[in-house]
Order: sequence, then C-alpha cells, then structure tokens
Amino acid sequence: MNDHDHPQNGLPEPALPPETPVDAGSQALAEALRSSFTIVKVVMVLLVLVFLASGLFTVGPEQRAIILRFGKAQGEGEKALLLPGLHWSFPYPIDEHIKVSIGGLQQVSSTVGWYAVTPEEMLAGIVPPAGPTLNPVTEGYVMTADANIIHSRAILIYRIRDPIRYVFSYVNASNTVQSLLDNALLHAAADFKVDDILTRDVAGFQEEVRRRVTRLADQQELGISVEQCAIQSVPPRQLTDAFASVLKAEVTRSQVLDDARRDENQVTNKASADAESIINLAQSDRVRHVSDVAAEAQRFEKILPQYQRYPALFEVQRLTETLGLVLTNAQEKLFVADSPGGKQRQLRLLLNREPPKLKTEETKP
Amino acid sequence: MSMKRNPLTLIIGLLLIIVFGLLLFVFQVRQSQVAVVTTFGNPTRPITQPGAYLKWPWPIQKVWWFDRRVQNFEDRLTEGLTQDSFNLLTSVYVGWRISDPAAFFPRFAGSANPIGAAESLLDQWLGTAKTAVVGRHPLADFLSTTDNGASFVAIEKEILAAIQSQLLTNNFGLQIEFLGFKRVQLPESVSQQVFDRMTSERKVLAARFQYEGEAEAQRIRSTAERRAAELLADAQGQATKIKGEGEAEAAKSLKVFEQNPELASFIFRLSALENSLKERSTLIFDQHTPPFDLFQGVSTNQLMK
Repeated sequence: MNDHDHPQNGLPEPALPPETPVDAGSQALAEALRSSFTIVKVVMVLLVLVFLASGLFTVGPEQRAIILRFGKAQGEGEKALLLPGLHWSFPYPIDEHIKVSIGGLQQVSSTVGWYAVTPEEMLAGIVPPAGPTLNPVTEGYVMTADANIIHSRAILIYRIRDPIRYVFSYVNASNTVQSLLDNALLHAAADFKVDDILTRDVAGFQEEVRRRVTRLADQQELGISVEQCAIQSVPPRQLTDAFASVLKAEVTRSQVLDDARRDENQVTNKASADAESIINLAQSDRVRHVSDVAAEAQRFEKILPQYQRYPALFEVQRLTETLGLVLTNAQEKLFVADSPGGKQRQLRLLLNREPPKLKTEETKP
Repeated sequence: MSMKRNPLTLIIGLLLIIVFGLLLFVFQVRQSQVAVVTTFGNPTRPITQPGAYLKWPWPIQKVWWFDRRVQNFEDRLTEGLTQDSFNLLTSVYVGWRISDPAAFFPRFAGSANPIGAAESLLDQWLGTAKTAVVGRHPLADFLSTTDNGASFVAIEKEILAAIQSQLLTNNFGLQIEFLGFKRVQLPESVSQQVFDRMTSERKVLAARFQYEGEAEAQRIRSTAERRAAELLADAQGQATKIKGEGEAEAAKSLKVFEQNPELASFIFRLSALENSLKERSTLIFDQHTPPFDLFQGVSTNQLMK
C-alpha cells in the first residue's frame, strides 16, 4: 500500500521533478522512511500472525484442557473438557486455556491416627520406642467402638474424575481429600470394635473408610473417584505384649481344637472299622455254623444205617478209632494200671510242664 | 504520520484505541474468582459470576479479585474441658470460601494476605466454638461412640452450628462448606486408664480363648468316644442278631439228629473229645478205658519184670 500511497501524497512529491537537485537530503529521508514503513508493516503482519498462532496449544495424553473466554468456562461439565490433541483458542485477553492433568493416580495419606515418627524412621521401618504414656499432642491415635485406643493410618489412591470441579472449586483439593480421609478414619474406627479393625474384619474396616471418603467427596463434589484405600492398624506400642498374648491364645486354641478333631476322626474311624469287622465276623460265623451243622447232619444220615445194624460194635469201633487218633496227637500218654491190692493209687502231678520225667517217677513207687 | 487519510491506517488506529479503551474499561473475572469493584475506595459492586465486566478507569473505580474456591483450613490442636472436667484436645478441618466479596472486602482487603487474615479469624472462632461444644459433652461421648459414631457426628454438627451462628452475627462474607474432626485426643491420664482397661480386657480374652479351646476340645473328644461306643454296641447287637439267625437256620438241620438221639449224642461226644485233645496234652488212662482194657488180665508185675 505504500506504493499507492506515494503518488497520492501530493505535498513533497510535486516538488520532486522541478527541483531535483534542491533537496537530495530530504529525498534520502523519504526513502529511509518508506523502507522503514515497509519493515514496520511486515513486522505488524508477523505480529498479528504470531498473536493468532499463540492460541494454538496441544493437550497431552493424560490431560484435559478448559477454555476460559473472558474468564468464564466454555461449555458445561464434560463438554467443557478438550481432549488430547491440537487445539486453538483466541489468545490471552480474550481466551485463556488451562490444562489439567487427570492421568495418573493421585495419592494422599492420613497419619493423624499414627504415633509420632520421623520421615527417616518411617522410611527405614523403625518403630520409635514408646513412652510410658501417650502424649496427646504428638502421638496420634483413633478410638474404637469399644473405647480402645489404637494407631491407624491410611493411604488413599484416587483419580480426578471431574477436573473442572477439582481445579475450579478447590484451592487445594488434595488437602481437602486428605482431611476427608482423616475424618473418615476417625469415624470408621468409632464404628468398629478393636479386634475387627486389627484382625477379624480388616477388609470391612477398609471398605468403611473408603465408603465414607467417597460419600464425603461426593457430598462436596470434589470430582474424584476413589480407586483404592489401604489401611494399617496396630495396637498401641505400650500394649504390644498384651495383644500378642491374645493372638497366641487364639492360635493355641485353634491348635487344641485341631488336635481334638484329629482325635475325633481317629476314634470314630477306628470304631467304625471295628464295628464293621465285628459284623463281618458274625456273618462268617453264621455261615460256617450253618454249614457245619448241615455237614454234620449229612454225615449223621449216612452213618445212621450202619449204627442201626450193630450199635455196640459201631460205638466201640468209633471210640477206638477216635482214641487212636487222639493218642497219636497227645504229647504224653500215661497208663495207670489198678494196684494189685485194690487200693487207690495216688498220682501227683506237677503242673509245671518243663521236665516230663518227674511224673513217671511218681507213677512207679 | 505521512499516511493520515488511508482508511486501513484509520482502522488500525481505531482498533488500537479500542484495545486500549478495553484495557481501561473492561476487566475479567475468572471462573475461580470473585471480585468487588470499588468507586473511590468504597465497594460498590460485588461480582460473583465469571465473565468480562465494564468499569470506569483507575482513579475512579478499582477492581479487587479474590479466590472464590473452597479453602481447606485445619485449626490447631486446642484444649477444651469436657462437661465432667477432662482436658480434651481437638482439631478440626474446615472447608470455607468467600461467598460475598462486598462483605469480605472491607474487613480483609487491607491486609497483605486476606485469606490468611480470614483464616486466623476462623481459627479464633473455631477455638471458641469447640470449647463451648466440648464443654457441653461428658468425656464418655468422645470415648464410646455408642450409636455407631452418631455422637461424633452430632458433636461435629454442633460445632458447625456454633460457627455458622458466629458467621451470621459477623457478616464477613465467609461461608463454611463443611467441617469435621481431624483429631480427638484424650488427656494423658485418661489414655493411661484406657490402657489399663485394655490390658485387663486382653487378659480376660486370652484366658477365655484358652478355656474355650480346652472345653471345646474336650467336648469334641467325648462326643467322639460316645459315638465310637455307640457304633461298637450297635455292631455287637447286629452280630448277635446275625448269629441268632444262623442258629435258627442251623436248627432246621438238627431235626435229622432226632432220628436217633443216642447216636447223635455219641457222635457229639466223640467229636468233642477229638477237638479237645488236638493240642499238646497229657493223657492218663487206666485199664477200664478201651482200648486199654485189653491190658486187663495181664499181670502188671510180670509186665514190669
């Protein structure tokens, strides 16, 4: 446009052709001015471009962005959030973009219920020695439903669900989350009995704290969602032994019960095995008895005709036969004849069996 | 300077003037802010909604911005006497924010850190409120939360109510969003008593576990023995019954023997004799027993010679 301006600008121009030699200095000035205007214009155009380009920004993968036009958020709720990628807004005085990191998990921890411990001790896992009593200013603790004092600390892991609430409604939302966690721990402990918190229902206690934090955060519309809540609880260090003895008693109890149950199994198993064998024995006895008697009866029927023919002969024959059999089996056989005088013979038996010859000596006086 | 009549130049010039004017006459209130406009130093216009607003330039009007977001404030651990004169230490957290910049401004704008100034005021009020509320409750309310923590909740509500009424009487443009206990600490003497009670409770519990274990074990064992005895007795009964059945069955065969009882008796005696002398045994006979009756009539004396 400078080129077009030039011929129109009548005042210095008409003087140019007639009085060329007059003012070489002013002509040089005009030239200088002209070229500097050109530079200024280029710079201005560049500035405008830079100004507009400064509205470009990228939103990272774990981020969301919000555009404030004259300070007011554009869009409501989810719609206000710009997703990862390249975006453009008017530059500063008009628009302003704010990036919020939503990725990653946020973490707060509550130690108001824990005994005084330095960060170094905490890292090293050292338990500082306990004083005889609890100093109420330095030593934190919580009170259980059955009025016991215990130490309890919690770590809460959460995700930012609504960055607009999280950033634009709270100066320091993570501090607030921590306060809510402290409060939830205090309240939940007051709802649980000491043994439930320490051993029997650790998960239930944890769940209760988590539930309370979630509820409080929802009430305050903190825009977070709780991912995880981990709690550690210990009895007061002053009473460690007393608590340990109960745990020991519990272990012993279950051992004693296990032993008893094992004995129970053994006794009943043995009894049922014995019972079974008694019944089996009875059954086999029964079978044998029946078949014995049947066999006997059969034999009887066979020999009955022989007997009926000559009963006396049969008897003698059988008796002799049996005695013969018995005598072959017997270890010692003694025959004692009637004494000639008809008086009774005296026999002395030594019932200890060892020396067999002793008896023969007596039989022959 | 040499291009006065160029319309484009004029436009640019106008734009510059407009921008300059906007900078003088317009101000923004961001989403996270509230503001108050003062005219010659007096607060005349509170602004609680974000956006762009007009004002007269500086010497006439001035804008003061404040953070509108919820501030998290935790007060110090302070002592309070319970109704029954125990020293109780409590600490609470409070979520508060500036709700009315026009009321907030005159009280706090003068200080270098208005938020801090407001919080130290809150701290005082909280101290008073806590002392008053703690004084209305016996220690037991803090020790055993009988109704599932309801007493804690109730006490928190009382403190909140006390501080709210304080805020109402002194309208400083503050609003409490939430309040809760952060710590409740017993005096040392009481915690010592609690420890003593806990120790004896533990002892009772340990003894109970031991007793319960032994008693239960004994019960299990005696039940097992009783069951074993029952099983055996039952088996014996069955066995007797089975044997009885056997005898009844065998009795059918016994009829055979009735044909000749003498022979039967003879046979039974014979087999009894045979059975009884199977093992190692010593037999002594005289000559009346067959077959030794054969010896009869033979002179024993002769035999012995």
